[in-house]
Amino acid sequence: MNPRAQSAIAGIALYGTTAAVLIFFYVPIFTLIAFSFQEGRYLTLPLDGLSLKWYGALLDNAGARQALGNSTVIAAIATLFATAIGTVSAIAAVRYRFRGRAGFMGLAAAPLAFPQLLLGIMLLLWFSVLGRWLDFNMGLTTAIIGHVVCITPFVMVIVAVQVFTFDPTLEDAARDSGASNWQVYRYVTLPLLWPGIFSAAIFAFLLSWGNFYLTYSLAGSARTLPTFVFAGIAVGSSPLYPAIATVIFIPGLVLVILADRLRRRAAAA
Amino acid sequence: MTEDTVARSWSDPALLWKALPAVLLQTACFLAPLGMTVALTFQTTKSFQLTWTWNLATWTDVFSRAHYWTTLLHTLTMAGLCVALCIGLALPVAYALATRLQAFKNQVTVLITFAFLTDTTLKTFGWAMFLDRTGVANYLLKEIGIDTGGASILFSDWATMLGMVYNLLPFAIFTIYISIEAIDRALILAAYDAGASKFRAFWEVTLPLCRPGIWAGAVLIFLLAVGVFLEPKVLGGGKSPMSAELIRQTFETRVNWPLGAALTLVLMVVSVFVVLLFSRVYRLQRGRGLL
Amino acid sequence: MAEALLELTDIRKSYGAYQALKGVSLSVAPGEFIALVGPSGCGKTTLLKHVAGFEDPDSGFVTIEGRSMLGVPPADRPTRIVFQKLALFPHMTVAENIGFPLKLRKVDRAEIAAKVEEMIRLMELKPEYLKRFPKQLSGGEQQRVALARSMISEPKLLLLDEPLSALDVKLKKVLQAELKRLHRMLGVTFVHVTHDLEEAMMLADRICVMRAGRILQVGKPDDIYYRPADAFVAGFIGETNLIPVEVQAIDGGGARTHVPALETNTMTIPAAQLAPGLERGPALMMIRPELISMLKDGGAECTMPAKVQEIFSKGGTVQYRARGPQGLEMVVELPGTPEKPAAIGDKLRLGWAERDVFLIPKPAEAG
Repeated sequence: MNPRAQSAIAGIALYGTTAAVLIFFYVPIFTLIAFSFQEGRYLTLPLDGLSLKWYGALLDNAGARQALGNSTVIAAIATLFATAIGTVSAIAAVRYRFRGRAGFMGLAAAPLAFPQLLLGIMLLLWFSVLGRWLDFNMGLTTAIIGHVVCITPFVMVIVAVQVFTFDPTLEDAARDSGASNWQVYRYVTLPLLWPGIFSAAIFAFLLSWGNFYLTYSLAGSARTLPTFVFAGIAVGSSPLYPAIATVIFIPGLVLVILADRLRRRAAAA
Repeated sequence: MTEDTVARSWSDPALLWKALPAVLLQTACFLAPLGMTVALTFQTTKSFQLTWTWNLATWTDVFSRAHYWTTLLHTLTMAGLCVALCIGLALPVAYALATRLQAFKNQVTVLITFAFLTDTTLKTFGWAMFLDRTGVANYLLKEIGIDTGGASILFSDWATMLGMVYNLLPFAIFTIYISIEAIDRALILAAYDAGASKFRAFWEVTLPLCRPGIWAGAVLIFLLAVGVFLEPKVLGGGKSPMSAELIRQTFETRVNWPLGAALTLVLMVVSVFVVLLFSRVYRLQRGRGLL
Repeated sequence: MAEALLELTDIRKSYGAYQALKGVSLSVAPGEFIALVGPSGCGKTTLLKHVAGFEDPDSGFVTIEGRSMLGVPPADRPTRIVFQKLALFPHMTVAENIGFPLKLRKVDRAEIAAKVEEMIRLMELKPEYLKRFPKQLSGGEQQRVALARSMISEPKLLLLDEPLSALDVKLKKVLQAELKRLHRMLGVTFVHVTHDLEEAMMLADRICVMRAGRILQVGKPDDIYYRPADAFVAGFIGETNLIPVEVQAIDGGGARTHVPALETNTMTIPAAQLAPGLERGPALMMIRPELISMLKDGGAECTMPAKVQEIFSKGGTVQYRARGPQGLEMVVELPGTPEKPAAIGDKLRLGWAERDVFLIPKPAEAG
C-alpha cells in the first residue's frame, strides 16, 4: 500500500475517532441544554414547547439559590488554598533537590488517584470522630477542607509543568543584577509563572464547583449545586435541573477558554 | 551547565515554607484519616453507636459473606473493561491531537477540557435523560425506524459502563497525549527512512515509546473506576451495585462504620494489589523482550 | 605592578564524588581581558560561577579588590555575568531589561532612562528597539542587550560565559570586534569563557588553559602558542607537530637532544626553548605547521624526509599532511598559492629553523 493511501486511511481513522469522541463528550451536555427549554414538566421528546420558564423557576427556588451560594463560597475558598499550597509545592518539587523528595511528591499527589467517594468517606469518619472530640459538625468548612485535599494535587501538577519549563537562569540573571530573593519573585518568577498559576486556579475552581463525591459526604446538610441536582434526580426529574446545568455551563465555558488563553500566553513567553 | 535543580535541606526556609503546607495538609487530612479508617475496622457498632473495642468481628464478617466478594469481583471486572475501552478510544484521539490536528488543536483541547470539568452529576443526569425510555436515544432510533419497543439502555450494566468511560476517558487522553508529545519526531522519521510504512512506524516506534503514558492512564483510570457509585446508581438503576455503592449503604443505611471502613480498605488494597500484579507481569514480559 | 583585581586562591569544589575544581589559583589584573579555555567539563564555567557568586568553594578564597567574597551573594559583588543563554527577561521590554539593575537600586526613573539611552548608543542599537521585547530581536541584537544590561551598573568585573558560541560565523566576528572595542573603551576587566580558541587568541590579553579542574597554563596568547607547558596545551591551542626526542643532558646552556627522525639528529636546544619541568629522558619537540617549509634540497637546520599523503585547501592556507620517518605524521601549513608546490605522493624534505622549536615533557599517559 503506498504511503499516500496509508496516510489517508490513518487520517480518516484518526479524525473520525476524534470527531466521534467529541460528539460523545457533548451528548449529555447538549441533551441538558435542549431540555432546559422544555415547556412541560416532563422530560420527554418531542419537546412540548420552548420556554424559559424553568430558568425563571430557578431564580425562585430557594433551595437552588442557596445551593448556588454554597457552591460559590466553597469553590472560592477551596481555590484560594489549593492554589497557594499547590503552587509552592510544585516549586519545591520541581526545583529543589532534597531528602525525601520522592516521598514528598507521592504524598502530595496521593489524593489524585484515590477514589473520591472513598476519600470523602474517610474524611467523614475522621471529621466525625474529631467532631465529637472537638465539638464541631459537618458543614461548609469540612467540605472546603475535603475539596482542598483533593484539588491541591491537581494544581500542583499543572503548576509543576509550568515551573519545569521556566528557565532558572532568569532568576540567576536577576540576582546577578542585584535583586534580593523577594525582588526575584516579584519581578521575574511570579510575572512569568502567573498565567500558569491563574489557569491552575481556574481549574481548581471548576473542579470544586463540579465536585460531587466529596461534598456529598462532607457538607452535612448544606447543599451545593451538584448535591442539589442529585437529590432532585432522586425525587423526580423536571426541566429545572437542565436549566441549572445550562446556567452552570456558561461561566464554566468562559473560564476554560480564559484558562486556555492564559496557558498559551505563558507558553509563548 | 546550568543546573535546573538546587539542593536544599529541610532547615532552609525556602524549602520548608514551600513543602510543609502540602505535607501537613495531606498528613492531617489524608494519611491520618486513612490510619483512622484502618483502626476503625477493628471496632464494633452496637445499636448504631460506635464503640471502641478492639476486635476482629468486623473482619470475620467481611470474609464470611460471599456477597461482598462477588460485588468486589463485579467492580474489578467493570473497572478493567472500562480501562480497556478508555485506552482504546484515547489512543487515536491523543495521537491525532499530538500529531495531526495542528489547526484545531487548541479548540479541541478546550472542548475536551470543558466537557471534563463540568459537573459530573449533571453530565450523568444528561446521559440518563438521553438513554431513558422516553429519552433522546429512543426518539432518534424511532425516527430512523428502529423500534426498541420501549426498552432502554438505561438501567443496565452497559449504561453504567458508558457513564464510566465517559467520565474517565479524559484522563487517558491526557496522559497518553503527554507521552506522545514527548516522543522525538526524529525517531519516527528515522523509521520511515529505514523503510517502515506509517503503520509499521506507529507499531514499532510510537506505541512502545508512549507506553509510560498508557500505563499511567490505565492505572489512574482503574483506581478511579473502582470507586464510582454515581454511574451505577443513576445509569445502572442500582440493580447491579458496585462496591462503592455497597460501602455507601453500609455507612448511611446501616450505619455500620467499622464494616464500611473494612470494605473500603478491602477495595483499596485489592485494587492496588491488582495494579501491582499487572505491573509485575508487565515488567517481566519487558525483561524477556516479549513486549 | 598594579594590585590584582581578582584573586583566586586554591579553589576546590566537588559535587558529590565529582571533583570539579582541584585547586585553582589565578590572579587577574585590573583592566585585563583574560580568556578561560579548555575542553568541556574542564571546570571553566564552574570557576566563572565562583567569581560571580553563584557557587561557593569547598575550600580556597575568592578575593575581589582585596575583599574576601566568602558568603557574599551575586547581588552584592562588583561583578556582572552574561549567561550563555543570555537570560533576557521575556516579559520585559528591552528598555526594562537594560534598566533592571538600576531599578533594583531604586535609581530615579529619569536617570534610568538617561542611562539606558547611553547604553543603547554605546551598544549601537536602534532606539526604537527600546519598546520591543527580546524575542523580537535577532541573536546579535539580543547579545548587545544582554551586554548593555550588565554594563549599566558599571561593574568592575564582567564575566562572559561563552556568549558567542551560539552565533553563526559572520555574526560572531562582528561581536568579537565589539567586545574588543568595548573592552578598550570602558577599561572594565573581562573574564571570558570560551571553547573557541581563535576567539581567545584574538581577544584576550592573557589566556588561561584548563583541563579536568586544573589550570595548565596562563600566559599571553603568543606565549601559550609558541611555548606551551605540555603536550595537551600544545595540541589544544592549535594544530601542532610533536616529534619524539630523547633529552640526553640538560644544563644552564640548554638541552642536548637526540632526534631520530631528523637528518641532523643531535642538537642542543637553548634553555629559553625548554618547557619548565623538562627533564632528561623522552620528550617531545614541538614545531608549529606554519613554521615548516617544503624544500627541494638542504637549507635548514632541521630537516626531515617525508611523503605527502593528503592536501587540504582552506582557501587562504593550504594544509599538507606528510609521513616522515618511523611513520611520523607531520602537518605543514603554507599560504595558499594558485600553483601548489607539491602534490599527493611527492617525496620531499621538510625543514625548519632550530629557533622555532620548543621542547615539552612527554605526557605520562599514552596519547
